[in-house]
Amino acid sequence: MKTFFLSDGDLDEFVTNLIAKSPVFAPVAKKTRFVFNQLESVEDLRLDYDTTILPPKKLFVPTKQDLVTFEHGKYEECLAPGKKILFGVHPYDIKAISMMDWIHEESNFDIYYHSNRKATTIIGSNVQNHYKKAFFGSVCKELKVMGHDMFLTKIADGYLVEVLTKKGDDLLPDGNFTDVSKEQIKNAADVNTKADENCPSKLKNTSLEIKHKIRMYYDSDVWKKKSENCFSCGSCNIVCPTCYCFDIQDEWALEPTSGKRYRRWDACLTCEFSEVSVQGGSENFREERAERFRHRIMRKTSFLNDKLGGPACVGCGRCSGTCTADIADPVSIINEIMEK
Amino acid sequence: MSCSSNHDKNIFLPKNAIIRKASQMTAFETHFTLKMEDESEFIYEPGQIVEAGLFGYGEIPLGLSSSPTQQGSFELVVREVGKVSKALCALKAGDTMTIRGPLGKGFPVSEFVGQDVLIVAGGIGLCPTRSMIRYIMDRRDEFKDFKLLFGARSPDELLFEDDLAYWRCSSDVNYLETVDKPNDRWKGNIGVITTLFEGIDHLDPATRVIICGPPIMYKFVIAQLAKYNISEHHIFVDLERRMKCGVGKCGHCQINDKYVCMDGPVFRYSDIKDLEEAI
Ligand code: SF4
Ligand code: SF4
Ligand code: FES
Repeated sequence: MKTFFLSDGDLDEFVTNLIAKSPVFAPVAKKTRFVFNQLESVEDLRLDYDTTILPPKKLFVPTKQDLVTFEHGKYEECLAPGKKILFGVHPYDIKAISMMDWIHEESNFDIYYHSNRKATTIIGSNVQNHYKKAFFGSVCKELKVMGHDMFLTKIADGYLVEVLTKKGDDLLPDGNFTDVSKEQIKNAADVNTKADENCPSKLKNTSLEIKHKIRMYYDSDVWKKKSENCFSCGSCNIVCPTCYCFDIQDEWALEPTSGKRYRRWDACLTCEFSEVSVQGGSENFREERAERFRHRIMRKTSFLNDKLGGPACVGCGRCSGTCTADIADPVSIINEIMEK
Repeated sequence: MSCSSNHDKNIFLPKNAIIRKASQMTAFETHFTLKMEDESEFIYEPGQIVEAGLFGYGEIPLGLSSSPTQQGSFELVVREVGKVSKALCALKAGDTMTIRGPLGKGFPVSEFVGQDVLIVAGGIGLCPTRSMIRYIMDRRDEFKDFKLLFGARSPDELLFEDDLAYWRCSSDVNYLETVDKPNDRWKGNIGVITTLFEGIDHLDPATRVIICGPPIMYKFVIAQLAKYNISEHHIFVDLERRMKCGVGKCGHCQINDKYVCMDGPVFRYSDIKDLEEAI
């Protein structure tokens, strides 16, 4: 890893050069919140964002992604990854991306995800302001922040810049990167430690303790109680950086013989998600709201841990912020069960 | 974490298969015999699944109905229940459908070799289990006693009439059948599938068992098996779930930490009996 300093004044030039090179997606303001959008000018960049409405996974798996086009019996895969730069990704979202990388790699390689992923250079940045529901400092500690190419930490008068990969190296000519002092490196480490410590919300137990205890509460009535006001809207899934379920559909151009097959994000909290067609009709294997609610929390705390090496929740707090019924917060559910 | 994935292959891209024969078995089920368009041999194991599809409509997961012991073609049965299956059922000999697969884990055949085998199939549960039934019949010497129990709702819903006729008189299989609702011509057993166990005094506790049928059937059949002291470790269930991708990504088939399309569709009963949503 190489480390540099980039002054506040030089950041603008760096970002402007990046924009000239390839599309840059970065946090920008949208009313009172923030979103990852293509950056038109460096003035729109908001590295002081708390969190974005949707996580950056949308760049690798768009909400609707074409898989295959077909016409009169002939068909072709839709792969057209464009080079891009994803700028200003917070550490918790970087963790989530590395989980997605593995999910789309293991057993069966997902070429649609990975061609977009491969074409993207990821520049992370530290959390300067906390989202009101964030708890990233106390969750998923077993997973390192990795997979990104460059990382910027705000320190006095500028940024400490870590360059981690060849893709990151390739961006060095675009900015006026200068030498760093030992003190600046230490300051940046402190900034990131503080960001973890200052999360407004906290889990009190380790992932392993949580995994075991939550599983023991599989049959508990806590799920029913907690999910009483759930609208089954699926918003908690949609905003989650580690949710990746999808549905596949065919769409006709003019007649059934031509069109495209696409996938779009799906949500296990919705009622239709677990419908199965069986003999003479259909059956739903998670018909009750409580079962679906439990499925999400179990998925975030226990079902995928062996596969991922840690829980499938990075503590961004998006689900809890988006839930109209205010019941999706993993912290309140987990802490409640852990205290029992 | 093992990683055996092939980075060049597109797991969502199917291949074409030509329909060599399409015959309507009942009011709802059509039986297809297929061959890959590129003339390659379709290689699979009994109990595995494919995603069968038609561009413009979509894909549906289906268990293979034929046995790999039969070369040159493979068979599927499509039950008309939705948009995709309706479009597939309208296809005729000479038409093309798309195939992705084989997918998932089938029956662990080697565990059945040298053992008594009991297969319990309800309704269209006969379609995927037929892959194993035919496998056993084709390599009969490798297995010991073979019993097959089949239950349908009515005589009109009996599938694979030619097979049934053969099994009824074959000495290679002890075949028992029943229907819930008989018609005037029906002379056989009447009642739910578990009533067939009345005719079985003894089963070797080491018997390997396969169960496939409507969700309600599993619990009752498993309760019967307990009476013969059959180990849950030797019972295999074939689960149907609404699969989408078939390759472990879309999450639709997930039951707790198991994915039906990757870990199944065939599961050892002892592995899934505590999964509340499984059966
Ligand atoms: S928990 Fe909240 S966000 Fe999630 S489905 Fe229920 S109401 Fe919607
Ligand atoms: S479960 Fe909630 S807090 Fe955890 S990663 Fe998903 S959206 Fe963020
Ligand atoms: S069918 Fe998509 S994960 Fe199993």
